[in-house]
Amino acid sequence: MVRAFKPADLTEALRLRKETACVPLAGGTDLMVKYRNWTGLPPAFPGDVLFLSHLKELQTLERRGETLRIGAGVPLADIAAWPETPAVLREAVRGIAAPAIRNVATLAGNVCNASPAGDGICALYALDARLELTSVDGTREVSILAFITGPGRTVLRRDELVTAVLVPRRAANIQVFRKVGTRKANALAKLSFAAVGEVKEGIVDAMALSFGAVGPTVVRSTETEKRMAGKTLAEVTALAPSIVEDYAALIVPIDDQRSTAAYRKTVALNLLKSFLEGLKEKVKGI
Amino acid sequence: MNKSDTLNETGISAPVRRVDAMEKLTGKARYISDYPFEGLLHARLLRSDRPRAKILGIEVPDLPAGYSYVDARDIPAGGRNGIRMITDDWPVFARDEVRFVGETLGLVVGPDREKVLEILSGIRVTYEELEPAFTIEEGLACKGGPIVGDDNLYGTYHLTKGDPEAAFRRAARVVEGTYRTGFQEHLYLEPQGMVGTWEDGKITLYASAQCPFYIRKSVAHTLGIPEPAVRVRQVTTGGAFGGKEHFPDVIATVLSVAVNKIRRPIRLVFERAEDIRFTCKRHPSRVTIRTALDEAGAIIGMDIDTVINAGGYTSSSLIVLQRAILHGIGVYNIPNVHIRGRAVATNTFPSDAFRGFGAPQGLFAIELHMSHLARELGMDPGSFKQKYFIKTGDTTITNTAMKDEIRLNEMFRKVDAMSGYRRKVKAYDDDPLKGIGIAFVNHGCGFTGNGEQEIIKAVAEMERLSDGRAALYVSTVEMGQGLQTVLRKIAARELDCGVDNIVYDNPDTDRVPDSGPTVASRSTMVVGYLVQQCARELKRRWGEGPGTRVRKQYRHPEGLTWDQDTLQGDAYPSYGWGVNVVEVAFDPVTYEVKTTGIWTVYDVGVPMDTRIVTGQAAGGGIQALGYAAMEVCEVVDGRFRQHTLTDYTIPTAMDFPSVACEFVENPYAYGPFGAKGAGELVFDAAAPAYADAVGHLIGRKIHEIPVTPEKIMEVLQDE
Amino acid sequence: MNEFNFTLNGKAVTYRGDPLKRLLDVLREDFGLTGAKEGCGEGECGACAALLDGAMVNTCLVPVGVVAGREVTTIEGIAGTKEGQDIIEALADAGAVQCGFCTPGMVVAAASLLRGNPRPTETEIREAISGNLCRCTGYDMIVSGIRAAAKRGRRSW
Repeated sequence: MVRAFKPADLTEALRLRKETACVPLAGGTDLMVKYRNWTGLPPAFPGDVLFLSHLKELQTLERRGETLRIGAGVPLADIAAWPETPAVLREAVRGIAAPAIRNVATLAGNVCNASPAGDGICALYALDARLELTSVDGTREVSILAFITGPGRTVLRRDELVTAVLVPRRAANIQVFRKVGTRKANALAKLSFAAVGEVKEGIVDAMALSFGAVGPTVVRSTETEKRMAGKTLAEVTALAPSIVEDYAALIVPIDDQRSTAAYRKTVALNLLKSFLEGLKEKVKGI
Repeated sequence: MNKSDTLNETGISAPVRRVDAMEKLTGKARYISDYPFEGLLHARLLRSDRPRAKILGIEVPDLPAGYSYVDARDIPAGGRNGIRMITDDWPVFARDEVRFVGETLGLVVGPDREKVLEILSGIRVTYEELEPAFTIEEGLACKGGPIVGDDNLYGTYHLTKGDPEAAFRRAARVVEGTYRTGFQEHLYLEPQGMVGTWEDGKITLYASAQCPFYIRKSVAHTLGIPEPAVRVRQVTTGGAFGGKEHFPDVIATVLSVAVNKIRRPIRLVFERAEDIRFTCKRHPSRVTIRTALDEAGAIIGMDIDTVINAGGYTSSSLIVLQRAILHGIGVYNIPNVHIRGRAVATNTFPSDAFRGFGAPQGLFAIELHMSHLARELGMDPGSFKQKYFIKTGDTTITNTAMKDEIRLNEMFRKVDAMSGYRRKVKAYDDDPLKGIGIAFVNHGCGFTGNGEQEIIKAVAEMERLSDGRAALYVSTVEMGQGLQTVLRKIAARELDCGVDNIVYDNPDTDRVPDSGPTVASRSTMVVGYLVQQCARELKRRWGEGPGTRVRKQYRHPEGLTWDQDTLQGDAYPSYGWGVNVVEVAFDPVTYEVKTTGIWTVYDVGVPMDTRIVTGQAAGGGIQALGYAAMEVCEVVDGRFRQHTLTDYTIPTAMDFPSVACEFVENPYAYGPFGAKGAGELVFDAAAPAYADAVGHLIGRKIHEIPVTPEKIMEVLQDE
Repeated sequence: MNEFNFTLNGKAVTYRGDPLKRLLDVLREDFGLTGAKEGCGEGECGACAALLDGAMVNTCLVPVGVVAGREVTTIEGIAGTKEGQDIIEALADAGAVQCGFCTPGMVVAAASLLRGNPRPTETEIREAISGNLCRCTGYDMIVSGIRAAAKRGRRSW
């Protein structure tokens, strides 16, 4: 029978993580489904389980200088309610599952699950988020882009825990998140789109765009984003067709039980086009 | 509606608090999984994982003490390896071949669940695979060779009215369309489940089910014992919608063979994924309608070809098919019609009853086709359909006079006043982001033809109890639709007492007469009428003292005729009637449709409780909109691709707005206080109304549901 | 970890057994509280909802070890409170109950909502029950029942 550990503090958790091949469990909302067993039987976890959600060290939401630090054990509901949470992330988090899930599920868990359809992940890509990874030997930071290597695959080492999601605080007067789900609530994404940008006096200072559920990992192209930087809004509008073309080459979705490849691709590009064309109107409102 | 006497605050229609509300709200109501049983054993089915194959062998490992593997060899002498539904072609345990993924091979039973799973995973089945057929087209083409007979058809029916051939010969123009509907999963919130025990020397089943006497009949047939040697006790049932009409027979027969062998309580409750993967769904359909128009654009004839995908065994597919074609021309008087109906065998899980029972498929096709005709002729669908409304005395598709008093014109006026249909249908012609659709339906109440008289022969009883209350004995089950409240209301009103003075327990086949299955929109109208008659007589004989018991048996209303061989005559004693208007808005970037309004008007005779019937209208309407818009259920390699609640998406509280519902009162002489059926009628119209609205929205014809954003994109790109 | 205490419907209780067992199974099998139902076992339907430290959770997704030292309130517990009674009476009067299998979860969702938001709008109510699936009612009467509960319980929320 597998064991379950409930460490007294983070130090003990890190020790257990190193010494046993245990499965870290924070909210558990993905793991409990993944290892689901017959009614009445405990889930069939492949190894010992390490409970994390009770650890005080992982429960904090804080602003550290120009970085927002979202503790790995903070439930999504609290992240959505935190005033510092960037609008694009708030919108994404609010659209994840339903209230009962958001009361326990964590953003770090969403990231570790590494599903290309993860709503939180799509927003985090556009925000240039990083993961704080801690082991008994110390802490390192990895960008989300480098952290997720494929569907369900990350660079998390067997002795490490994600201890926080780090979101750079930066000016962004453009923040858009759009999920196209299998229904209007309590849904998984057929695809998602996030945009984070700053427009100053009619000039695009920076623009980050990401697309979820249209490839094995979230799609982001810093090269194409750079093509928009320093341009006027009129120039970006004029560039729109060629920007759409850039992403058309990067977006390679699949058919599955939730949607079709053709729909995902068409709608992802429609959302992009509509975003670029509506940019002027958006900025006017600021 | 509030002006009429029966709908007012003191009449039978006035809402009362449901009798089952408090026990359900407080969590005290007990469903099948909530009952403790001493020495309970757990069971899990061994199922085929091939859609079509010969079984070469099943190797079961040595079992530890206390564990059993149950299969066809355990059926006692004199019993039969067949589940008695309408026929018994569906075996309890697969014989030498399997016809669909999920067919029962055996049952593993034991005290420890972990061990049961371990035994199950140790069983090795070897197959010789055969080429399967999954779709209607593959079934009709006998892909892989016929599964049944030499044409793969469980049955074919023809209905002819007038002279359709002559009509097509003189037609100025013929308009044709093919309409398709998909599988739909019932998704009752409580999965299928039953506990079988050996009590007082007999097989006893505690069941989440609609039809206790169906289960009793099936079990007796399988075990080769008399029906009274089997006892079935219905327990609080968490939704059914037709999914617990015949499917519980599949569970009950297996379980009974096991209980007969082991003689201990055994629980067989499905998990959600099992329930979605391995239970019956609504029949997919393909209906082709050709309409002959004269020079003036008037309909002079129709030819309708209806095919339903019945899956691996018959179940009740032929009766479903009958209902589909008997509702094939909807609420219209079409002069010359030929309908052919076929139920085709395929290697999918057998399709079976689901709220509406074939009528939704038939009505979807005719309603959408009428809308398409209207557009072709430059009219709005509502006005066009109105021109063809059937009237009292008109000839029906089964060549008899329509006997109902029909209030469709009034219902159309009412729904127009509620929704603004006539104004919006014109205004939205030029609005690329809005659409509105309308559908008119009727639904035959009770069993088709003389089934109530010849097959069911319903009986109800009442008794004066010693404490001054009255007991009601019927086999009608509460499955959420409100029958426990409605039947009590009917009895209480006749006896002039409160509903609390009527005792009506969940049916137990040892204690109640067979008043028939809880299906076919028959319970309020047919059983309720018997209850009313019982209550009247009991009131007359109340003075005879405690223990006075009265009994009433169904009698078909006078003047109705039916020939089951030719399907001619009065197809139903009466019909419920309805109209739905659905309004939608469009997101052209994502092709997503948002429903912005749902308005419904129904003629259910006299509603026995306006709140209960309104609750049916809202629930049925939203279930139908799920069918129309969201509930994708594809078969890939013989497996349902959307088999979790994550991927088989039923509507949440956020998906649709509230459903407006009004009634026209139209008392029926042979229903209690004038009531007719309501439970299925409320499902029939929303899907075609939605598809009509989406068609209006995008300015294209929609032919198929579910109409997902993916399909809308395809239709728009298919220029 | 194989023996710990928690508060269940206001009473201190001790659990002995596998800490990975689902809270749902523990409630139903170990404590005989069968008000929480298993509709899906994957956190999609909300029929198993209960309150954990006052916030709604799907008990099918909570390993029982997580609730050590915490407070679990099930439908049975909610039904015994004034707030719970207000919700239950309002839902009964609104016609919000049909088959009843989703119903305890709906009451839990309503209690969870009204604790944080005593005067919710229709949209807020619909959002609050968006993880509680109902196949019978089409939700209308549940929504109006929760709205009525908010009015009825104005003093208690």
